[in-house]
Amino acid sequence: MNELRCSLLVIGGGPGGYVCASRAARLGVDTILVEGNRVGGTCLNVGCIPSKALIHAADLYHAAVMQSRGGMLGITVAAPKLDFARTQEWSRGVVDKLCAGVGGLLERSGVKTLKGWARFRDGKTVEVESETGPVLVRAENVVIATGSRPAEVPGLAVGGRVLDSTAALALPEPPARLAVIGAGYIGLELGTAFTKLGSKVTLIEAGPSILPQYDERLTRPVRRRLGDLGIELRLGTRSTGWNDATGELGLDGDNDPLGVDAVLVTVGRMPCTDGMGLDELGLRQNGPFIEVDDRCRTSMRGVYAIGDVTHGPMLAHRAMAQGEIVADVVAGHAAAWDKACVPAVCFTDPEIVSVGLLPAEVPEGVASKVSEFPFRANGRALTLDDTDGFVRIVSRESDHVILGIQATGPGVSELVSGFAVAIEAGLRAEDLAGTIHAHPTLSEALQEAALMQVSMANHG
Amino acid sequence: MANYDVIIIGAGPGGYVCAIRCAQLGLKTACVEGRETLGGTCLNVGCIPSKALLHASHMLHEAEHNFAAMGLKGKAPSVDWPQMLAYKDETIGTNTKGIEFLFKKNKVDWIKGWASIPAAGKVKVGEEVHEAKAIIIASGSEPASLPGVEVDEKTVVTSTGALALAKVPKSMVVIGAGVIGLELGSVYARLGAEVTVVEYLDAITPGMDGEVQKTFQRILKKQGLNFVMGAAVQKTEVNRGKAKVTYKLKKDDSEHVLEAETVLVATGRKPYTQGLGLDALGIEMTKRGQIAVGKDWQTSVKGIYAIGDVIEGPMLAHKAEDEGMAVAEQVAGKHGHVNYGVIPGVIYTTPEVATVGATEDSLKAAGVAYKVGKFSFMGNARAKAVFQGEGFVKLLADKETDRVLGCHIIGPGAGDLIHEICVAMEFGASAEDVALTCHAHPTFSEAVREAALACGDGPIHS
Repeated sequence: MNELRCSLLVIGGGPGGYVCASRAARLGVDTILVEGNRVGGTCLNVGCIPSKALIHAADLYHAAVMQSRGGMLGITVAAPKLDFARTQEWSRGVVDKLCAGVGGLLERSGVKTLKGWARFRDGKTVEVESETGPVLVRAENVVIATGSRPAEVPGLAVGGRVLDSTAALALPEPPARLAVIGAGYIGLELGTAFTKLGSKVTLIEAGPSILPQYDERLTRPVRRRLGDLGIELRLGTRSTGWNDATGELGLDGDNDPLGVDAVLVTVGRMPCTDGMGLDELGLRQNGPFIEVDDRCRTSMRGVYAIGDVTHGPMLAHRAMAQGEIVADVVAGHAAAWDKACVPAVCFTDPEIVSVGLLPAEVPEGVASKVSEFPFRANGRALTLDDTDGFVRIVSRESDHVILGIQATGPGVSELVSGFAVAIEAGLRAEDLAGTIHAHPTLSEALQEAALMQVSMANHG
Repeated sequence: MANYDVIIIGAGPGGYVCAIRCAQLGLKTACVEGRETLGGTCLNVGCIPSKALLHASHMLHEAEHNFAAMGLKGKAPSVDWPQMLAYKDETIGTNTKGIEFLFKKNKVDWIKGWASIPAAGKVKVGEEVHEAKAIIIASGSEPASLPGVEVDEKTVVTSTGALALAKVPKSMVVIGAGVIGLELGSVYARLGAEVTVVEYLDAITPGMDGEVQKTFQRILKKQGLNFVMGAAVQKTEVNRGKAKVTYKLKKDDSEHVLEAETVLVATGRKPYTQGLGLDALGIEMTKRGQIAVGKDWQTSVKGIYAIGDVIEGPMLAHKAEDEGMAVAEQVAGKHGHVNYGVIPGVIYTTPEVATVGATEDSLKAAGVAYKVGKFSFMGNARAKAVFQGEGFVKLLADKETDRVLGCHIIGPGAGDLIHEICVAMEFGASAEDVALTCHAHPTFSEAVREAALACGDGPIHS
């Protein structure tokens, strides 16, 4: 068997893994990355990027269709025809370009990339089933960055017309009738996109609300938009199974079975920790996740874990941040996880973002103050003809230190990193209120929400 | 006649914000405005209507250029110009009515008419004279004129006329490659006009970062805008609804003539103080015709203040708003303050351009040692997914301390990305502070963080 030696072996080429590998290599660490599929991981290949491309195309298609029915912008247009094969080809083109970019990045950084699946022999030795035969890699440090995969609903095996997000993103045509199980952000993002592309979508959620991690006020504009788009929302409903012969999805209670052309299961994601001999290492676990400390070290010396296999929000940017830390630690630099917040974005319609604490998450005994400024009073939102939503600031009442910022509305995904800077810096509401925000921009809503905390909004 | 604590002259962004703030602080407040609607240049004939047209024409551009690649097929869309103008007017209406509502809610009296100041403490509107302990002049600005160019607002127009043209012209000459000229030039180019921009200087958007200028001009050229640089416009002539623009190239003094259906004069704006009676009051002015003010925005006459476009500084709505708030607090006996070092500027073309703080040129001139962190949107996933990989983020930081000194962005959503840097600069952040903040994926804002990383030990995605 071929043998390779290195200082750092990264298992998994997703955002956490490739960032960790390329940074480590550039810091002078001799690094090998193992990935069985194309580099880029879930995010680039079957997650964030293709879904955002689909959402973008769906948004524009929907805007054009609405415009053809006498929209207000003054653009006369016949309803465009959707050539979905072309849409998918375009989306694949975007993904190809980005994956090639990551490949180039790894190469330029001096990372050796091995294509194949890894299996631990021990904490420092990994066997890789590569295309050219098995390779044994001996490494001083190993990073587990194997990510996550869609969770399944018991009794509803994915396959055929039962899709997970990966399969849904690869559909040749938008299904005429689509049931989406799970009203988390993935289900909402894809359900909304397919609705805009012409599917009749029914959203089935076992719980009492959509996006259960957020409060009702924050999700209300999305819920309203679901209704406007004609998405049928069935809360407190569970599926009882799929009958492929009749094309019906069974539902619990008194519900009639739902006749659909496809079922999309989006009930969350599970860490990928099986099938690579991890059990034998006996790493300390935190539920299904690998337990790590603030330097992403596992219970075994020299073995690190980052991204979706560790406990925390399953977000590419959290994984990347962890990847950077591990690269620094392995290279001998001082680094540790001390982020005050990790921004979260739902690319729903309208978008929802959150950093720091929600009003309900403020610890007991801490008096807080919540202010909310509506986009309806924001000039830029009016010019975009998109005024649903608001920016909300949660601060500590005693000293006005900002504990959390949430928003829903037009373009808020691009505001949230600014919110994160404010929280990282430990700013008070006065600091935001005293910062000039450009006019006319959506970001003025943040300043106004801060002004509301301090005294009164100018435009509210 | 009535007695007030404060009378504000002008209900633009500076004036109306100041009025609302004064009222919120417990002062009896009136605001004088002669226009039919509140909101000033910005809401009526400036930022807001131009952004409405930019948005609508951007959608058209998307449909024409990017739909096919995404599998959206159909006949090319056409422009229903009256409806587009109606959309713009509706946007203006919603905005200005919003201000009217805020005035009522905050109990600000709107005195309709044009004001003059017969003496300190007195404001005359029509035949009535009102009294106020403090008077705040927020009368704004008007388009600057150019010798030899007569504006008729039909064929030869300022930005005001350009926002309400009877039809989309086949050809347009824009005099001046500043923010207004490039925004409106972009609108009409997208709507099908052959647009030529004539600029006196050798670079567009004077004062901006040099690299931004170059990239910006290259992108605009690609979008079909023509540029004549280093050209001094001599005169315009209108004959049967057609205009001739005569200009001289500075390099060889040769004279050239351009013909166009419409000429947009966008050579800047000048303070509007006509009719206020400032001369008689003996209010001190700057050499450039602005009202001279002290640190508390008080003019040379006690009790009379001035803010916004009539005083020194960039003619920007948010600068005026901030001054309006600060002066309101001063008048109410508090301590209003404006940080002139952190005033962002935005151009709403596609891609957008946004800038705050120092440029490389200004730092060189000041002898400050600095470092540059630059990141291209080609390395940004979201930008690539929406056909907007052109442009970059450039962050300037102090070489010794790593403190952020300026930021220049050309790229998607730049106007909303810049505010993160404004907040960072306001609290004296280092580039590393920005780099260590988790930025959401996949967003354009990741490019800002990468630029911050580039000020340190290097970006990830390049």
